[in-house]
Amino acid sequence: MTQQGLSWLASYPKSGNTWFRVVLSAYLDGGESEVDLNALQTGMIGSSRLWVDDVAGFDTADLTPAEIERLRPHVYRWSALHDGMGGYHKIHDAYLYNDAGEPIVDPVATSGAVYLLRNPLDVAPSFAAHLGVDIDRAIKLMSSPNASLSRNDKGLNPQMMQRMGTWSSHVESWVDATEIACHVLRYEDMHATPQQSFAAAFAALGLTVDHEKLARAISLAAFDKLSHQEKSGGFRERPSKAKQFFRSGQMGGWRKSLTTDQVVRIVADHGAVMKRFGYLDAHGEPV
Amino acid sequence: MPTLYQAYGLTISSEIDLPELPQLSGLAQPADLSITRDPTLTSAPTGDEWVQLSPYAWTTPTAFMLFVPDVAWFLIEGGRTIRVAPIGGIDMASVRVFLLGSAIGALLFQRGFLVLHGNAVDMGDACMLCLGVSGAGKSTLAAAFSARGYNVLADDVVAVNADGQALPGIPRIKIWRDAAERLALSTGSLDRIRPQMEKFNLPLPKTLVSAPRPVKWVFLLGKHEKPDFELTHLNGIARFGPLMANTYRRRFMEGMDLNADHLAQCGRFAGLVHMAQVRRPDAGFDIDGLVDLLLEDMSKVPVA
Repeated sequence: MTQQGLSWLASYPKSGNTWFRVVLSAYLDGGESEVDLNALQTGMIGSSRLWVDDVAGFDTADLTPAEIERLRPHVYRWSALHDGMGGYHKIHDAYLYNDAGEPIVDPVATSGAVYLLRNPLDVAPSFAAHLGVDIDRAIKLMSSPNASLSRNDKGLNPQMMQRMGTWSSHVESWVDATEIACHVLRYEDMHATPQQSFAAAFAALGLTVDHEKLARAISLAAFDKLSHQEKSGGFRERPSKAKQFFRSGQMGGWRKSLTTDQVVRIVADHGAVMKRFGYLDAHGEPV
Repeated sequence: MPTLYQAYGLTISSEIDLPELPQLSGLAQPADLSITRDPTLTSAPTGDEWVQLSPYAWTTPTAFMLFVPDVAWFLIEGGRTIRVAPIGGIDMASVRVFLLGSAIGALLFQRGFLVLHGNAVDMGDACMLCLGVSGAGKSTLAAAFSARGYNVLADDVVAVNADGQALPGIPRIKIWRDAAERLALSTGSLDRIRPQMEKFNLPLPKTLVSAPRPVKWVFLLGKHEKPDFELTHLNGIARFGPLMANTYRRRFMEGMDLNADHLAQCGRFAGLVHMAQVRRPDAGFDIDGLVDLLLEDMSKVPVA
């Protein structure tokens, strides 16, 4: 880990990453003016093809997924150590190694990481809407060791392929990573105790926290404001298959949107990690 | 015996077979560019004159070195030679992808061209450029123009000379399987650009167009969330930024200390062309509709 370098905002999709970035963007901007969803200034996404193409000097569009994964740690290291790049970059890849045995998220390039975590019972319906698939399909993807984002062998996706694995293995890959220090932030805590939760995460990212400014930033990033802004001006990060990026943002919505069978399956797939992070009680029941 | 070829207005003598390029039968003078194999290139260059630009690229005032891991080393010197060292048992199609891409791009910078990321389509007495990031749909658009009978002068790497003319580049389009399917092109008889990829070389007629074509129109292709195409003309200084942003391998150009020349080139070129930003729907766009839109726009600004 390096003092100056890249900070990662890591999460499984639909776990509060964008909300976190909006608050961070508003905070870095002084917490004074309305947030422009389509001009978040926090950083890039780790899977950006432009980023790797620019630094490598040749096109990832002409490389296989395994070849691209071999470049990525070196590109991040170059950006951090030689291009003086800092910033807070979203990433949906699990914390994994390439076939040369190197962590794709290069620890030398990394100055900090926050892992955003959300109850998988709430992730499933949101992820389904995000992908434009039914909830059963989303549950299956969340339990698939080979799940990935932006995989397209027949064409070009603006983003490079991101290996995610299962929801559980995604969580554990980051929070148990030995090469980097990762601050874990639960979506539910961002809701319940926003000031305290964001402050702790910002501090973990090396920011000096000004509580008044943070309070203003949190207020500017209220969910209904973001949802309203998306409805009026669109959101460039909305996947084409999703009707709306900012759907409900609620906690516990699963009680209405999931069937009993779906709840049972998610708990069977992810019980151990759910318990570890307080999403199941001592009896294994969802809280 | 090296084989003789032609691309970007240069005569080329190459020890590496380049089936993508039109061949020449003989030359009265030494070739402008010599491509040779050099197995001694096996590591990063050393010496104070070398500046490292990235994990994989190094430059001096007159030389440029590129390393594509597991594929090849390339040493490009003086705008006249490219030495290539394929790595291990790599297939030559893979080597050619980067030789005819980044390596030739570096050579074109060394020769003083304005090098842009996009393609050039001949419209008769003048040509249009389509610029944009990877994934914007440039190659699909070029293939659609080609299917309508237009001559595609260059795909991916466009070299523009001091008079604002685009040079005929490599007569092929690199096209993904899904784009080919959208255009109802059969990939059955096409060669893959690399054996393990679903991306193909779509050959274009090797008509030996050696004359540069004045660039009259530049379209900046992008995407948006809306369901329709949107075309916005750019005037004056607004044309400058997109040329900088769509410079091919800007990192190379800046590292080669060509910034001042490049700024001047972009400024001059911006004054010579009509430019429009074209946004297409993020998914499922009508490629024929886009060709029609650009043709209609160009017809409003006829060649003088």
